[in-house]
Amino acid sequence: MPYGGANQPGRIRRGLAISGVSVTAILLTGTVLAEAVPSFNLYGLPGLVDMPTAEMAPDGTLGFTYGRIGDSHRGTMMFQITPKLIGAFRYSGIDQYTGLGEVGGVYYDRSFDLRYQLWNEGAIRPAVAVGLQDFIGTGAYSAEYVVATKTIAPGLKVTGGLGWGRLATHNPVATFGARPPILGAGNIFNAANSTGGTLSYDNWFRGDVAPFAGISYAPNDRLTFTLEYSSDDYPVETTNANFDYASSINLGVDYRLKNGTQLSAYYAYGSALGFQVTYPLNPKTLGMPGGIEPAGVPVKPRQPSDIGDLGWTTEMASAKAVTKDRLVKSLQKESLEIEGMTLEPRRATIRLRNPIYGAPSQAIGRAARVMTRVLPASVEEFTIVPVENGMAMSAVTMRRSDLERLENDAAVEMLARTSITDAFGKAPPTDLDNFPKFIWALEPYYSYSTFDPQSPLRLDVGAKLSGTVQFTPNIILTGAIKKRFLGNLDDISRLDESKLPRVRTDYAAYNREGDPAIDQLTLSFFGRPGRDLYSRFTVGYLEQMYAGASAELLWKPVDSRLGLGVEVNYVQRRDYDQLFGLQENVTTDPISGAQMTIPHVNGHVSAYYDFGKGYHGQLDVGRYLAGDYGGTLTLQREFANGWKVGAFATLTDVSSEDFGEGSFDKGIMITVPLSVGLGTPSRTTSTTVLRSVQRDGGARVFVPDRLYEKVRTWHEPQVEDSWGRFWR
Amino acid sequence: MNGKTILRTAAVLASCLVLGACGNDPYRGNSFEVLYDSLFKGDAAPQPVTAAQIAQVMAATDLPMAFVNIEERKAQTVLIRIETNGPYGTYATADRKNMVMRNGMITSTRGLGDDLMSTDVDAVLSLVRKRTTGNAVYIQRFLRSDDATRVLTYRCGVEPDKSVDVAMGLVRGRATEVIVACESEDGPPFVDYYVVDGSGEILASRQWLGVTTGYVAMHRLRL
Repeated sequence: MPYGGANQPGRIRRGLAISGVSVTAILLTGTVLAEAVPSFNLYGLPGLVDMPTAEMAPDGTLGFTYGRIGDSHRGTMMFQITPKLIGAFRYSGIDQYTGLGEVGGVYYDRSFDLRYQLWNEGAIRPAVAVGLQDFIGTGAYSAEYVVATKTIAPGLKVTGGLGWGRLATHNPVATFGARPPILGAGNIFNAANSTGGTLSYDNWFRGDVAPFAGISYAPNDRLTFTLEYSSDDYPVETTNANFDYASSINLGVDYRLKNGTQLSAYYAYGSALGFQVTYPLNPKTLGMPGGIEPAGVPVKPRQPSDIGDLGWTTEMASAKAVTKDRLVKSLQKESLEIEGMTLEPRRATIRLRNPIYGAPSQAIGRAARVMTRVLPASVEEFTIVPVENGMAMSAVTMRRSDLERLENDAAVEMLARTSITDAFGKAPPTDLDNFPKFIWALEPYYSYSTFDPQSPLRLDVGAKLSGTVQFTPNIILTGAIKKRFLGNLDDISRLDESKLPRVRTDYAAYNREGDPAIDQLTLSFFGRPGRDLYSRFTVGYLEQMYAGASAELLWKPVDSRLGLGVEVNYVQRRDYDQLFGLQENVTTDPISGAQMTIPHVNGHVSAYYDFGKGYHGQLDVGRYLAGDYGGTLTLQREFANGWKVGAFATLTDVSSEDFGEGSFDKGIMITVPLSVGLGTPSRTTSTTVLRSVQRDGGARVFVPDRLYEKVRTWHEPQVEDSWGRFWR
Repeated sequence: MNGKTILRTAAVLASCLVLGACGNDPYRGNSFEVLYDSLFKGDAAPQPVTAAQIAQVMAATDLPMAFVNIEERKAQTVLIRIETNGPYGTYATADRKNMVMRNGMITSTRGLGDDLMSTDVDAVLSLVRKRTTGNAVYIQRFLRSDDATRVLTYRCGVEPDKSVDVAMGLVRGRATEVIVACESEDGPPFVDYYVVDGSGEILASRQWLGVTTGYVAMHRLRL
């Protein structure tokens, strides 16, 4: 039995002599598998009470924190982007606020943080990290720091650091150059930063610098006590709200529940009580590894004597019909479907549709095992062509004898003997027996809007009726209509001036009048116009606000990490009631009265790149809805089980003054696979996009079924990433 | 449509929306249903397998079979061999949970959750079958939640112990207990027991199948 060099004696550092080793001694040694999650501070990053530490969370950690101190609320989502880099997004509010920017007595703010660990902790050397706090927000929390943390005894850690900006408002010890005060002219807002959202890099590590320090002690893995000396004077809260600053010493205690949730209580700044809840989760470890779905069928090895038997080929047509029938029935038990098959004496090719498996390799592996049980023994070469919307995505070819031989080996052995090539021209013709196909669903829906100061979270809940007619696998009519049952998205009263055509800022009118609303009604054509090429043409009611037509062409070789695409759209504005009517592409600003025209044509050229290890980048350059030209950069970290965490930023030729609040379009997104909660396979995922503000610059039309995500699913890099599931 | 039909239709539609979705797509996942199940549907209590049930299964087929007890879950089941591939036999339950065994040593599982995906057992199995003392490398592979493969390389010491009599199902005879103690930097240590007959076939065992499944006791009922 070949084991492909998996027995690597070099990996074993210690031998074990069984004689003399008591069995109980071994059993009591226990396991140290889970990485330790550090304590989080009120800002939702690893830290003490209000101050940061140099610690990192385990790679991939997503941490959700709600922290409250005095009248300040902070909701933070942090992500351990790489083992050394943390990114965070925060939505905060200060109650009892009386300055400019106040809405109903509250000052709302959004901020982004980054922290990079320069060195991890050594035997003598402390961990050292550098951080930027609120580096593109309006600046209420703007600060930078350099911080060192060292474990000096089990559970006992000391931290010391230097802060700038807000973290240098108490007892500064030195000054590096000039930095505008946080409270410009007695207020947060001044002419220079009234729009917020700009990168304030010329201020980083400038101005006053002040030391901070702290100590934390964890007597066990549930409890942590913290004591810190803060270099934050709470100037914003003291001047514009009711914060009573009396001391720079803060005390805290953290308690960790069994599921990892951290509960903390604080006494801070000599006057304020604080508390915090943090829920850290990790896509790498959340959920049952490998799932709990039933096993696939085992490989059925052939009798060597049968392999040469070509007797069945004399009655090819009937053999094919019988084989196909058995294949369809057996694949059905695996929740797989075929859309076509060619059968030759030594070779078989199937068009495979995968409705449920999130991991492409699992769908391929299960189909291949079924084929070993059903196909005549002389068939040695299997080619599986996965199809999406009728497009052949790749041709996965393997030898039946390899499947028989490697069923009980490491999955990589089979990967090494599997080839993935372009399916252009290789796919069997489509059987149209089951077409047209009609699928419908009636289900609940929700939609939301975030960060409106008058109501930071608005939510609608209702029913959505959707239907799809597949005339052929690649000509698809899709429609959805929704009716709200309850919610408050329809009472948005906030009116903001826009210097651009109001391509998105009329959302209040759409939400108010669109009930019931036609969510989507499109006819789509998908195709493979050539080698490495994929195409889509969509016409109809594309999204809530626009109807029109969209054409897309994608170039993506099967083995390439790079994909290039081009998309051109022709759009017409829909009526606010979102039924069948259209309106002129002219908008009137409710504040200034200015009339602006939305151009009909927009579009982008896109480059997609898979950096490996789950890091993906996308650059879109082109013309946006409002006619502005520019580019969007999206970076995502993706886990093979379907989790994605990413951020995007769009810069266009619209100046930050014309753009308005936020200066440019940016946001974060999280995709959660349904299979995590299910424990069984599902291709359904749920994506949440959080924009700091929705404005009209850098806005794109939402087109359903853009090509890249579906196409790359079946290409080599992604199939390899989840290959461990081939035999699952 | 009369009033009653309308009411009934309305009731069906309402239940669609409360308890998830209606539709004709058999593959559509539903997040509301998932949420509901995870909140309100606990695991069914495992039922012990009775001697009568074992006898019944054995009477129904001539295929080789084994009894398995997952200690941690107090779950017991009888598996029937549904396929062989070289020295490997695939044993399955009625609800499509599988275990693959080679001469009675479990080499992989499917459908238990955190499955043992594959193992390299050549060296350990050879010592166990010969009932001799020695050291050997043993590799287990699992999936992580993010579908990456976790490889655990163990160094195992194999040592034969006392002789025992075996009588389970149709499997009877004199056999030798073999103890296999394994240690690794990749995972927790464990000790497996195998009851091996004169031909080197494992008749019964207590085997470690990873942190989630833990120890599993296996008795072969028919070879």
